[in-house]
Amino acid sequence: MRLVNRCRCLAVVGTLAGGLLAMPLAQAQGAVPLAERLPLCAGCHGQDGNSVVPENPKLSGLDAEYLVRQLEDFKSGKRKSPIMSGIIPMVDDKEFKALGEYFSGQKPAPGKAVDAKLAAQGKEIFDEGIVGTAVPACSGCHNDDGSGSEKYPRVAGQNVAYVVQQLLNFKSGERANDSKALMQAVAKRMNEKEIRAVAEYVATLTGGEQ
Amino acid sequence: MIKAIPFALLLLLTSWQVTAMADAADSVKSPLGYGSKNYVWGKMTREQADILRLTGDAKRGKEAFRGCRGCHKADAAGIVDGTYPRLTGQHPSVVIKQVTEVRAGVRINPKMDPFAAEHAVSKQEIADISVYLATLETTRENGKGPDDLSAKGKAVYKKHHCAKCHGDNGEGEEAKAFPAVAAQHYGYLLREMRHIKDGTRGNSHPEMVKVIKPLTYNDLEAVADYLSRLPDYRLATKGDKK
Repeated sequence: MRLVNRCRCLAVVGTLAGGLLAMPLAQAQGAVPLAERLPLCAGCHGQDGNSVVPENPKLSGLDAEYLVRQLEDFKSGKRKSPIMSGIIPMVDDKEFKALGEYFSGQKPAPGKAVDAKLAAQGKEIFDEGIVGTAVPACSGCHNDDGSGSEKYPRVAGQNVAYVVQQLLNFKSGERANDSKALMQAVAKRMNEKEIRAVAEYVATLTGGEQ
Repeated sequence: MIKAIPFALLLLLTSWQVTAMADAADSVKSPLGYGSKNYVWGKMTREQADILRLTGDAKRGKEAFRGCRGCHKADAAGIVDGTYPRLTGQHPSVVIKQVTEVRAGVRINPKMDPFAAEHAVSKQEIADISVYLATLETTRENGKGPDDLSAKGKAVYKKHHCAKCHGDNGEGEEAKAFPAVAAQHYGYLLREMRHIKDGTRGNSHPEMVKVIKPLTYNDLEAVADYLSRLPDYRLATKGDKK
């Protein structure tokens, strides 16, 4: 299943890369309407922002300002991603707000843990932190139900593989566009097993929706 | 041969090392703190003066406190074993002093350090958080000592004039940034008193170090237990203070 997804992802990237080559310059050609822009995002993130490719994040229900900030950071290079950095030059900054609001307004599809046993261990870390190694509880910023707040993103129902990769990136400093560098500080105190456990649990959260 | 070591054991060893390191790092002497040449307790820094001039807002403080909740919990009650102190009802001046002195490296606290850093919490947010915490009710039981040593603790507290700064009800003093200590977790009180005695709480008051030096470990346990069993000072001093 995972392999299939990966192939599908590669296929999408391949198509996009083909598109890139066909263009004389991977530059923004001015702002285009949302409906014209969406197919570019939907290839990886799904039309409704509920990416089915575990490596790609779900965007549905995330805070619109958070999404805009991520797009800005991809554009400026503050946040790095081999895929997004290829795509973002094609998108005009003026489109960010509409994109952020569109995906923010989509209904998040429920997520699923891959390993239920690990998810149970993740719950302990998410709710209580790890006292011995001074890992704060995730719920402090992201809320018990993973719904997040204005400042801290929603994590509920997010894809496991994506969350694992982001936490590893925060841990290594590869991703450093977190508000106040707090996520880096926390991730540096976690080992890979703990990261995986938390990611599994996060996938099971609903963010308060029924 | 090395490959034969089970992965779990390795993990266990690593986590044990990290814990031991965190404890050791907590009791490192600050090069800027107590015992260093230019250390003066309570000498107000520019930053502290700036924050004290700001008007804090409890509602904003509640939001800014999110970054603290992972350890100090959503109700700011900390953890009963004292790993993280209870912050409800602490004086704003004390919160401001401690956060800014942790981030200045006067008080060494590796656990809190990244979360107290300038990029993590602004001056305005510190002012807001300090007001928010001062108004927050204490709703959860705090951690007490394993045995009731409050009679002995009370005697030690009295004999060594702890009340001169920390008050008869453990209420501390807002104007002088003396912390409220009543109803704090036993484990936290004991740990900090030990750090003060050892000279490893970087922003210790030299007077307090003098007072605490001759006390035995058992004395400290008794005082910690006594204070942990006092009610939140706001209940004890209702009406007759301020």
